[in-house]
Amino acid sequence: MRTWINFSKELPLCFLSHLDLMRLWQRAIRRSKLPVAYSAGFNPHQKLSFASALPVGVTSSDEYLDIQFTEAVNNDGFKRLADALPSGLSIHGRQDIPDGIPPLMSLIGAASWHVSCGLNEPSELGGAVNSLLSSESLPVEREGKRGKKKLDIRPLVLNLELEKSLSGHQLSMLLQTGGDGGARPQEILALLGMAEERLMLHRTALYVRVGARLQRPAYVALIKNEVQIDAKKDYYQL
Amino acid sequence: MEDYRTFLWTKILPRVQKATRYMGNEVNSVRKGHDKAKIKVALAFPDLYEIGMSHLGLKILYHIINMEPDWLAERVFAPDNDMEIIMQEEKFPLCSLETTTPLSDFDLVGFTLQYELSYATILHMLKLSGIPQLAAERKDPDPLVAGGGPGAFNPEPVTDFFDFFLLGDAEEALPQVLHILTEMKLLSRQDKLRRLTEVPGVYVPSFYREEYSPDGAYQGTRPLFGLPERVSRAVVTDLEKAPYPTEFIVPYGGIVHDRLVLELFRGCTRGCRFCQAGIIYRPVRERKPETLRELAGKMVESTGYDEIALSSLSSSDYSGIGVLVEELGRDLAREGVSLSLPSLRLDSFSVDLAEQVQRVRKSGLTFAPEAGSQRLRDVINKNVSEEDLISAVSHAFKAGWSNVKLYFMIGLPTEEDEDLRGIAAMARKVVQAFRQSGGRGKPRVTVSASVFVPKPHTPFQWVGQISREEILRRQQLLRNGLRGPGLNFQWHGVEESLLEAALSRGDRRLNPVIRRAVEHGCKLDGWDEHFSYTGWQQAFAEEGLGIEEYASRTLETDSPLPWGHLDSGVANRYLLSEYRRALTGQVTGDCRTSCLGCGMAVLVGSCGSEGEPYENLD
Repeated sequence: MRTWINFSKELPLCFLSHLDLMRLWQRAIRRSKLPVAYSAGFNPHQKLSFASALPVGVTSSDEYLDIQFTEAVNNDGFKRLADALPSGLSIHGRQDIPDGIPPLMSLIGAASWHVSCGLNEPSELGGAVNSLLSSESLPVEREGKRGKKKLDIRPLVLNLELEKSLSGHQLSMLLQTGGDGGARPQEILALLGMAEERLMLHRTALYVRVGARLQRPAYVALIKNEVQIDAKKDYYQL
Repeated sequence: MEDYRTFLWTKILPRVQKATRYMGNEVNSVRKGHDKAKIKVALAFPDLYEIGMSHLGLKILYHIINMEPDWLAERVFAPDNDMEIIMQEEKFPLCSLETTTPLSDFDLVGFTLQYELSYATILHMLKLSGIPQLAAERKDPDPLVAGGGPGAFNPEPVTDFFDFFLLGDAEEALPQVLHILTEMKLLSRQDKLRRLTEVPGVYVPSFYREEYSPDGAYQGTRPLFGLPERVSRAVVTDLEKAPYPTEFIVPYGGIVHDRLVLELFRGCTRGCRFCQAGIIYRPVRERKPETLRELAGKMVESTGYDEIALSSLSSSDYSGIGVLVEELGRDLAREGVSLSLPSLRLDSFSVDLAEQVQRVRKSGLTFAPEAGSQRLRDVINKNVSEEDLISAVSHAFKAGWSNVKLYFMIGLPTEEDEDLRGIAAMARKVVQAFRQSGGRGKPRVTVSASVFVPKPHTPFQWVGQISREEILRRQQLLRNGLRGPGLNFQWHGVEESLLEAALSRGDRRLNPVIRRAVEHGCKLDGWDEHFSYTGWQQAFAEEGLGIEEYASRTLETDSPLPWGHLDSGVANRYLLSEYRRALTGQVTGDCRTSCLGCGMAVLVGSCGSEGEPYENLD
């Protein structure tokens, strides 16, 4: 049986690295005695993968763990798993996945982020956001294995919005991510002149992309070996 | 406390390198209400989280204290540089991991004295917590500061900073201490300390004074108020009845020993003459196999770990080790848990054990011949021969290992260049044994040579360390001898070894030196990137002392020792007789089968030796 577990990663667990988080899940699964599948070989490891790596220090309310079990797990089993987690990590839901569906990691095409920017002058920031959106190109430099590399991230910026929030204003970003390349939220903040500020960044959702439509993995329809947008649930039209 | 915690999580942790060191909140960590607790204890480990969290003693104490509903124990570790800078910028005090409570709000702060190079860190941590560094300057509302662990057997270099020490096993003595503190909560520090001297193993250094003759010669350290001349160590006679933690805290980030630890037994009867642990953890006390199997099952269930280390000073000496490994291995294989044996004796039986636990990954085997010639091994009473080594490694190579690490010490008493050449010769024979055993691939034989540091309460406690020049010369001699295919050489820092030796057999004159060293920025001296020998040299010089003079000083066998008022249970005359036997190359057998009259039987009633206890040594 294969399952996607939808969870959030809040303070203080946002400081865990990808490796730390993997180790945490492995131990929690062992504590809750779930029949997880192990890889073959000299050094067997649990068959687990995440939908998308999250930078250290960033909280998220929409993470996914893709797990392979050797037999069906009932609600009691998942309840035990939820109880085995430390505070800061909570399970929102799960869905059983047909075996033929590709790894969730390969399906993710976009992510939305938000950051509170209470202290910034909204009109000034609004102007910066608009000019960024109307730019033809947004060149950034990235540190690669063979030195610095130039890249235009404009096509990867799907949307930016400045919204009113309880504590002032918040910036929402919808950015492409995954195998076809992605824009990093920190790059957008740098382009807006906010790189130096200590802002708490939050990932609000991950999206599966089918054509010009984006939908959270928790909502998509899985038919045999295919992933489809479920039009009856929320989705985003590019 | 909530406001400290929120500040830590939102304003400090986003700025530090490894936040998982400081955030607490781990599975199995215990958070109790501070308002309800009658006694609040901070267990402080004077090193980084990843070192301190690997330490078994801390887990045992944490468990014992938190078992009691009225008491609470929380952990605190030393911050790394990046964290410390932010703490100072934000005026954020050193806090416990569990509830982010400043150290100064606890009733008792207990430091473990695991190694001498952590002494500066203790003082540094007190500084970061705002607790007065000098015990004499602390007022009634300040926490009592206590020390324990092997360093408590000569805590004289740090007596100014501690209110009391606990010598020996804490499982029974610490609850007694906490019961007294619960009862005497509102009384003065002095009253509490006076009462605490009734607990076996408690040493209040301010109640003991150093005495000097008119010509300035040290005459011993004597008690005030008619207290006993010597403080005897606390001993748990039955380990079966001692609580053992099964709910290990599960760290998030990787720590040095990221696995479960099962203590098979305490103590060792081998009698290696350089080894302090072999003396201060006597007598041998074993846990029953059924107890160990039960503990192992519970530990795996509560933590989700997939590895258990069977830990002891010499694990293959456990009475039923073969059966235990087989049975535990069978129990745990079902759960996908592997066993590891960190301390192996040098024989084929041990290699068989290692093979049993390491069926898949033949990562590497470590042996400790300690010295390069039979003569010198006899001097240190390391009762293994070259044949033992060659037969053990040949056995290992045939079983599929190719990676062997050999531990040696340089600068052992009576060592000659010939003994050092013996180390190189042994390493070459190991490489040869690989070829003769038909080993596959290339052998990798690593010789790791530390510098001998004479320790209090051992037969070599009177001996000075060799000089800096000699250490360097002997290291070079080894380096030259260990060139060639398959050979690797690892050595220890000279300056760290000199400082360790100076502090190890130090006396009360070193207290102001350590204070000055901390003022010069010394801390976390066990880490190369932090260690500052010049800071220490300056500190010693300002007190008119020298590191090397302290390290190399020879103590007279007929003069009082700085730690002479502290009693490990092993008689000084036994240590002296062992020292004399060492100098004439006489070996002493394992005392499991025949009692050698070390004195332990007097302290504990029966030490479990099968032989008749006898008291006359000579």
